[in-house]
Amino acid sequence: MLTVARRLYRHRALLGILTGRELTARYRGSVLGWAWSLVNPLVLLVVFTFVFSVIFDPRDPAVKPYSLFLLTGLFPWIWLQGSLLEGSASLLANGGLIRKATFPSELLAIVPVLANLVHFLLTLPVIAIAFVAARALGSEVSGPSAFLLPAIIVLELPLIAGLALGLAALNVHFKDVKDLLANLLTILFYMTPILYTLSTLEHHRVVWAVVAANPLTPFVLAYQETLFRGHVPGVGIWLAMIGVSAAGWILGAGLFERLRDTIVEAV
Amino acid sequence: MSQPAEPAIRVDRVGKRFLRTAGGHKLRTLKSALLERSLIRGLHPEQAIGALEHISFTVARGESVGLVGSNGSGKSTLLKILAGILKPSEGRVLVDGRVAALIELGAGFHPEISGRENVFIGGAVLGLSRRQIEARFADIVAFSGLESFIDEPVKNYSSGMYVRLGFAVAIHTDPDILLVDEVLSVGDEAFAHKCLRRIEEFLADGNTLVLVSHSLALIESVCDRAIWLEKGSLRLVGHPRRVIDAYRAGVAREEGRQHLEANQEREREAAPANEPAPASCVSSAMPTPAGPEDAQGDAENQAAAGDATPPVLRWGSGDARIERLRIRCGPEERYHLACGTTVTFELEVEAQRPLDDFVFGIGIFTPRGTECWGTNTDLEGFDPGRLEAGRVLVEIICPRLRLSPGEYLVDVAVHARDGTPFDYRRKLSSFTVTATHDASGVGVYAPEHRWQFSSGIRWRAVGETAATDLPRGEI
Repeated sequence: MLTVARRLYRHRALLGILTGRELTARYRGSVLGWAWSLVNPLVLLVVFTFVFSVIFDPRDPAVKPYSLFLLTGLFPWIWLQGSLLEGSASLLANGGLIRKATFPSELLAIVPVLANLVHFLLTLPVIAIAFVAARALGSEVSGPSAFLLPAIIVLELPLIAGLALGLAALNVHFKDVKDLLANLLTILFYMTPILYTLSTLEHHRVVWAVVAANPLTPFVLAYQETLFRGHVPGVGIWLAMIGVSAAGWILGAGLFERLRDTIVEAV
Repeated sequence: MSQPAEPAIRVDRVGKRFLRTAGGHKLRTLKSALLERSLIRGLHPEQAIGALEHISFTVARGESVGLVGSNGSGKSTLLKILAGILKPSEGRVLVDGRVAALIELGAGFHPEISGRENVFIGGAVLGLSRRQIEARFADIVAFSGLESFIDEPVKNYSSGMYVRLGFAVAIHTDPDILLVDEVLSVGDEAFAHKCLRRIEEFLADGNTLVLVSHSLALIESVCDRAIWLEKGSLRLVGHPRRVIDAYRAGVAREEGRQHLEANQEREREAAPANEPAPASCVSSAMPTPAGPEDAQGDAENQAAAGDATPPVLRWGSGDARIERLRIRCGPEERYHLACGTTVTFELEVEAQRPLDDFVFGIGIFTPRGTECWGTNTDLEGFDPGRLEAGRVLVEIICPRLRLSPGEYLVDVAVHARDGTPFDYRRKLSSFTVTATHDASGVGVYAPEHRWQFSSGIRWRAVGETAATDLPRGEI
């Protein structure tokens, strides 16, 4: 795991170039270009606000305004989902590069993580404006605790990066990983309190336990606390995040490290 | 570059095995791996294909080494191990210095993005910072000659353009060690010369080169030393001339062995044709020695007669039969011959009954059917007396067979003077003529020759520059 980290650091210039290229490639040839990164979250915000205040209006006062509650958990999730799906496919997609050149293959799995992180960061201005508007309209949401957000992101990064590395290495050998992952992520999404709060599950002890034990739950809770509720997350949440993130990195990067020598031949 | 310090490359008992992938008995899915708990274990090469075995050599700093060997001999695998792309299964490789590798076409290029961005990525892979690449960018593009295409996606490049850019990036990253696999042969002549000049400069600066190429002339002119790999093992290391000659001889031996096998196979296949050939064939007049057109005509006649279509390789009444054709150099049976050696074609003929009208003939053809030479005893004035029943030997001895290097097929025949064939055998044997120093030209005939030049024409000594692609005659 340390080797992977060292190599990522050594090739940080290349990592930067590749991530930049990934981002520019996405919007190449489109008229709005980078503005799409703002338009997409904006559309989600408008649609959700309309749907969840006019069509369904969740009664629970703890999640009001619901569109903001939902987006607070959803954007980080999209970061994770995009990173893992693209990251797991990255080695196969760039087979030529690692087969024919002395290329640090770990970069390939990390590039989608960083590119998706940038997209996530680009949604933050939209969220910020929405929260400011909501507060101006009298909602008791968000607050200065939102400035803790970078800390949560930094904590989540090793987890996502580690998982992307491990899945990428596995996917080289077992092509089913990608399909398995897509389904797993769907299930995981509903097992994470993004659409609902943990407290709504209090009458279903088993379900509650499952959701609470989900390693992604502390991260979602932390985002919701800092951004949506304007609280500083409790020590338990911080410790859980540190533990999960370290475990994710050790597991994923460790797996990558063990499979590294087999990757070039199998790609 | 003056003091011989540590070698640039040290390869120590290196072996490489590849995992057997397709057709292995292991069901390679995640499920089976999890069930067998062999996720990691299963990925280690146990039932594997050996690609390299016990390779040891060193390359001194400032040296240039060429790898030769037939396809599949492990040259590229070895180069990839030196480049750090593949890990050796056993043994150790020490490479001291900054390595740039040009392996296969478009090595390490991202097809979707522009040449410009690829230059930056390629430079960064080789350890340059963005600023360093920016400083060299103009030189790189100028060297590649791709100024007007540099913003096109690389996928639209031709293979030659790939190589131009790849070489330009690699050579401008100031590597200490350059590994090049064949790719230079893809570019056009002018660019190849440009590359070679740059490589000469690179070597003159005391850097190290490992070159894989099938162009033996290139290796001979660029390299200080050559390594011959065969089936993953080191066959010979030494002066390029010596290694290349040994390699050529090895290739020729192998080709000769294949000819021998093919010839034996042909004899076996033709054996059942004991019965006289179809009437249509026999009746078609067959003057000596039949050119390919005649044989074609025969085949067409036969096809018209409704017989099977495979080319007719043997026809005749069978009154006398050619049992065997051996090609010899002196007493030794050989099917690879250096141009200009003495060659004996030995014909074994079995006459079923005594004959008093008979002609022996031979014809040599290229695989494309060009008749190189043909003659027979009648043309040369032999007046047939009597051919006794039983086995006889006929030898045609050519004291200096000066065919150009290449493959040849031999037809032999025994027939009556009016052309009625007793036994005509097409393509009964094949052989290869190998190049010698004064016979490396093209065509079918390689006369003895020499060059003479008046004053005002000067030639560089061998090795002085790599750009001498002119015939190397007796100067």
